[in-house]
Amino acid sequence: MSKVQQLSVSKTSVSKVAILVLAIVFAAGLFVVGFDQGHIFSIVYGEQAFVDLTIHELTHDMRHAAGFPCH
Amino acid sequence: MKSALFILIVIVSGALAGAIHGTVNFAIVEPYLDQAIGIENENLFASGEEDDNPQFWADYEEYRVWQKSGQVLAGIILGVAMGSLFGIVYALSRNSLPGKNDVTKSVILAGIMWITIYLIPFLKYPANPPTVGDAETVVLRSILYISFIAISGFGAFVFYKLSQKLEKSKKYLGLVGYAIFIITAFFVMPENPDEITAPMNLVNEFRLMSVLGVTSFWISIGIILGLFWNKFDNSNSSNGYT
Repeated sequence: MSKVQQLSVSKTSVSKVAILVLAIVFAAGLFVVGFDQGHIFSIVYGEQAFVDLTIHELTHDMRHAAGFPCH
Repeated sequence: MKSALFILIVIVSGALAGAIHGTVNFAIVEPYLDQAIGIENENLFASGEEDDNPQFWADYEEYRVWQKSGQVLAGIILGVAMGSLFGIVYALSRNSLPGKNDVTKSVILAGIMWITIYLIPFLKYPANPPTVGDAETVVLRSILYISFIAISGFGAFVFYKLSQKLEKSKKYLGLVGYAIFIITAFFVMPENPDEITAPMNLVNEFRLMSVLGVTSFWISIGIILGLFWNKFDNSNSSNGYT
C-alpha cells in the first residue's frame, strides 16, 4: 500500500549580507533618532555640533513621542 | 527572495510605517509637547534663565518649527531602523510563525515585538514629555532604557529557543520562563532617577498618546511588510512526496 503525503514547503532564504546591511541600517537609524547629541555632525563641525544639536532638535519631538530619553 | 529585493521591501515598509507613525504623532502627540514646552518656558522665565521678550518668542518659534518639521522625517528614519530589525527577525523566524499567509505571520510577529521591545520597556521607563528630565542624567537614562529593551528582546529570543527543545505539551514553560525572567529584571533594574515635576495629568495623557503613536507603527509595519512579502516572495512551493 502506498502512502501519498502532500507537504507544503516554505523556504525563507535571505543572505547574511542582507542581514548585515539591515543590521547596520537599524543601528545607524536608531542612533540618529534616539541618541545623537551632536555626535554625528561633530565629525564635520567639531565641538560646535554639541552646542547646535541640529539632529537632536530635528528628531526632538519624535524622540519624546517614541519614548527615548531626550534631555 | 533576492537580497536586494528583501532589503528594498524591508526599507520601504519601514519608511511607510514610520511616515504613518510620524503623522499620527503630529496629530495626537504634538499638542501635549506644546503644552509641556509651555511649562518649560514658564520655568525658564521664573528662574531668570530667559526673559519673556519678543526676541525669546522669535527664537522659540524658529526652533519649534524646526522640531515639528522633523516629526515625520524622524518617523521615517526611525521606521526604517526599526523596520530593518523587524525584517531581519521576520526573515529568520518566518517558518516558525503561526499563520496561513505572510500578512498574518507578520502581524503576529509585530505584536510579539511590540510587547517585548516596546510595551514592557515602556512600563519600566515610560515616555516623558519635555520639562521632565534632567540633562545631567540623560546618558544614564539612555543606557537604562536601551539595556532593558535588549534584556527583554534577547530574553524573549532565548526562552523561545529553549521552548523549541521542549515537548509540545510543555512549550508554555518557555513563556512562563520569560515572564519570570522579565518580572525579575523589571524589579532589579534601577528606577528612572529623575523626579516628575510636570502635572501628572499632562504626563499621563502624553504617555497614552505616545503609546498610540508607537502602536500605529507596529500595526503598520506588520501589515505592510506582510503584504510586500506575499507579493514578492516566490519561494513558496508545494512538493509532493510519495
